[in-house]
Amino acid sequence: MTSPLLEVSNLHVEFDTYGGTVKAVRGVDFHVDAGKTLAIVGESGCGKSVTVQAMMGLIPMPPGRITQGSARLRGQEILGRSTVDGREVRGAQIGMIFQDPMSSLNPTMSIGDQIAEPLLVHRGYSAAQARARAVELLEMVRIPEAARRAKQYPFEFSGGMLQRAMIAMAISCKPTLLIADEPTTALDVTIQAQILDLLRDLQNETGMALILITHDLGVVARMADEVAVMYAGRIVESGSVEDVFYRSSHPYTVGLKAAMPSNDPQQQHELRPIEGSPPDLFSPPVGCAYAARCPHSMGICQQRPAQLFPVGDAHYARCWLQHPESPHRPAELSLGGHHE
Amino acid sequence: MWQYTLKRIFQGIITIWFIATATFVAMHSVPGDPLSSERATTPAIRANLEERYGLNKPILEQYALYIGSFLKGDFGISFTQRNRQVNDIIREHFPVSATLGILAVTFAALGGVLFGALTALYRNRLPDTIIMFLVILGISVPSFVFAALGQLLLVNINNLLGFSLLPVAGWGTVAHMLIPALVLGMSTMAYVTRLMRSSMLEIIHSDYIRTAKAKGLPAGRIFTRHELRNAILPVVTVLGPAIATITTGGFVVELVFAIPGLGRFFVQAVQQLDYTVIMGTTVFYGAFLVTMVILVDLLYGWIDPRVRVQ
Repeated sequence: MTSPLLEVSNLHVEFDTYGGTVKAVRGVDFHVDAGKTLAIVGESGCGKSVTVQAMMGLIPMPPGRITQGSARLRGQEILGRSTVDGREVRGAQIGMIFQDPMSSLNPTMSIGDQIAEPLLVHRGYSAAQARARAVELLEMVRIPEAARRAKQYPFEFSGGMLQRAMIAMAISCKPTLLIADEPTTALDVTIQAQILDLLRDLQNETGMALILITHDLGVVARMADEVAVMYAGRIVESGSVEDVFYRSSHPYTVGLKAAMPSNDPQQQHELRPIEGSPPDLFSPPVGCAYAARCPHSMGICQQRPAQLFPVGDAHYARCWLQHPESPHRPAELSLGGHHE
Repeated sequence: MWQYTLKRIFQGIITIWFIATATFVAMHSVPGDPLSSERATTPAIRANLEERYGLNKPILEQYALYIGSFLKGDFGISFTQRNRQVNDIIREHFPVSATLGILAVTFAALGGVLFGALTALYRNRLPDTIIMFLVILGISVPSFVFAALGQLLLVNINNLLGFSLLPVAGWGTVAHMLIPALVLGMSTMAYVTRLMRSSMLEIIHSDYIRTAKAKGLPAGRIFTRHELRNAILPVVTVLGPAIATITTGGFVVELVFAIPGLGRFFVQAVQQLDYTVIMGTTVFYGAFLVTMVILVDLLYGWIDPRVRVQ
């Protein structure tokens, strides 16, 4: 078995606020293989953005704090440091794009200069070389009239084009991993599809791995190889996209799927939201964080946090129902532990 | 851009005309005239003088004469200083005031931007606390106090050293200018520091600074290329009016440091109702300030591309 490109284990992140300490990420493990796409799914505030920002060193400290854990890129620790083997991680080995392209670019610097910047800093390009490469990169992300566009400023670009420019900037140093933090949330639907297509094409061309953070299951189904479902600062289910979608093993994943709108006339149903709201992360519950909202909650769920149970090959769920001696066997859940 | 520049220049000319008219009206509505302070005036002498200076003409005609001579660039002869052209007064003393003023504004802008950025980067830590305390002092203490204190400090330093490090008063060399300019720019520097601090704090937490960090740029480059230029915009906006307050407000500082600036003549002229000097200096100052404000606006356009295109 080859070692994964990125391996994150037992990551804990806290924030000090006036109200107390928020335990935003409470022990997250995942890995990404070279060239593959991992989607991290979950509702707002579940810690998915904090997880990747902690890896990239983008969490303001204070008030933030990484209390435990490690993130290894090709076996080298990157948490708390910015270089590996003398090479910059951020912007060079890992690229990152964000949710709101409108505010994520410097308004007083031309698009071309912003794309050229990582090349100047990490690759030692001359100003002229970097400028020429910036135009090529803009062509790669399919911006017409790239040479003219490179001289323009962010306010002269549309939202979708700005996100393309962000992508061009993030891939300028040929990173082995691109992190896309809700890249399409701020864009309208037709543009979303174009950006996702672009990301996939670039991935095919360059062979980079992709971490896609989203709360849109449609995006996950379309893009991901692997999926990690996050809830209240922990990964509750992970596995291949087929496993997580068709053999969902955690009640939260099932709830998310049921809450997804559908335009299939055969499946016409009312939206079924998950009742209740996520737990208070100032003082996370002792047991399973999802127990209060879970339709199958048992006595043990309130008392002890669930372990990660294997459901299938590389498919895990953090749920007591997966325990071999669980008395309940809800039909809607795919149960792995009972097979043998 | 050219259209914008021309438009601003045209607006400037209208503003200067308005300043001239308003000054003229205000001056003539004040009771008395330049001749009322003369001691031994018999009605005959008075009539002679009025005839000579054109004061006996109807007010509208005087106005037309003034505007006419302004257009020719001639501000007339002073009433109180015999045979002295207003143009000569301006030519001799304005460069002194302007040098002092521009130096003061430069101090204020550079210092304010530097200290403001520092306080934002060290937010709620010792450098921030110290600088913000000094800022409150700088804003609330009037400039004559700083002028007197500055002068006293210089005297003591020179005594201590046994030679003259910096001259205590007078004018002539760069050494003469430093302390007065610093004193004159003090309150503006304090104001700019506060402005820069809040603007910088906003920028530091913006999405594009997060992007710059994600690009792996070194902190120095993020500061100069991404933070400074954006944070400086609100500061540039207040620089125009700041030049106005500083160059016209330099009178007290000029007096304390015995600097032969235009401010003294300006104040004297108002006290003595020296019509031509008031008109000349006011209109000249007005024109100077309008020019500065236009230059600042153009500078703003250069810094912020969003302004440039409109």
